[in-house]
Amino acid sequence: MANLKEIRTRIASVTSTRQITSAMKMVSAAKFKRAQDAIVELRPYANHLQSVLSSLGDALKADEENVYVNAKETGKVLLVVVTSNRGLCGGFNSNVVKKTLSLINNEFAPYSKKNGVDLFLIGKKGSDFFKKTDRNIVGIHNEIFADLNHASASKLASEIIEKFLSGEYNRIEIVYNQFKNAAVQILTNEQFLPIKIEEKEEKSSMHTFTDYIFEPTKEYLVKVLIPKSLKLQFFKAVLDSVASEHGARMTAMHKATDNATEMIKDLKLEYNKARQASITNEILEIVSGANALEG
Amino acid sequence: MNLEIITPEKKLFSGEIEMVQLPGTKGSFEILINHAPIISTLEEGIIRVRDKEKKILTFEIQGGVIEAKENSIIVLAEVE
Repeated sequence: MANLKEIRTRIASVTSTRQITSAMKMVSAAKFKRAQDAIVELRPYANHLQSVLSSLGDALKADEENVYVNAKETGKVLLVVVTSNRGLCGGFNSNVVKKTLSLINNEFAPYSKKNGVDLFLIGKKGSDFFKKTDRNIVGIHNEIFADLNHASASKLASEIIEKFLSGEYNRIEIVYNQFKNAAVQILTNEQFLPIKIEEKEEKSSMHTFTDYIFEPTKEYLVKVLIPKSLKLQFFKAVLDSVASEHGARMTAMHKATDNATEMIKDLKLEYNKARQASITNEILEIVSGANALEG
Repeated sequence: MNLEIITPEKKLFSGEIEMVQLPGTKGSFEILINHAPIISTLEEGIIRVRDKEKKILTFEIQGGVIEAKENSIIVLAEVE
């Protein structure tokens, strides 16, 4: 049986660890709330933008002119990988990294054979990993999380859109954790460019048909609105990732706190057993000493 | 008529108004009650709103888009 002092030190150290993990859990809970609010605030904007786009109707069809829909075959793809700057959030970052690697080795295998998969990294954890591999990295942006707003996200988004428009890549995908709720993140890879246009809206546009005046022209509106919606999509991906990160950390820290509590319980039991044994021992010694004197 | 000014980060304005003046791409224009349905892009400039109490409110925007129909106006704006 371990000695008393040893167990006491272990109890003390596990208790302070539990204090840290439960504090981190609470910090994450507060940050999580804020991140979730940002997503909720984004929703009306996103919905209205979608409705404006859908009322443009046929101007949005895939035609030759639309540079956002048609991709030239360049043999190169760009993966935008969104991770976090900090760890201690369970499998949050490693899942994204694994997904990215599997995309490179499976879906985009024909490209990666010709060294045609480039990476655009957001988040320190992902960058640290991929810097050690021989992958071609075209951009690292960890600073975005320090001051995340629509303007800073748009700037990055335009940079990415520019890479597509210049004809460097024929496909751009975003890999990130989509936010579902505090406990659940959905690991997603989303096609960013070229845009996929759904052709299903025929029915829905019939009964809400309004004869709009378009200013200046439908074509100009499409030209302006598509980048807007792309920037929004990118901003949403980053916001989702941030909310997921805090959700994941909250869950991870909650588990760590529970484990620490469990460990303290076991250690206390062991400590009390040891204490009892040592007392019994002492009494035995005293009694046998007294007996020896009498005898 | 009802006006909403929404940015990706928050709702700037929501309420009943009498008139709104917008920096459209083809030039500044006004929307009064019973305006025909319109969708237009907006440029950098100032949105001027006159509410029911004849108070003038102004919002500075970097650009955006407006959709108006059936006396309900939605401005999707970008701000700094």
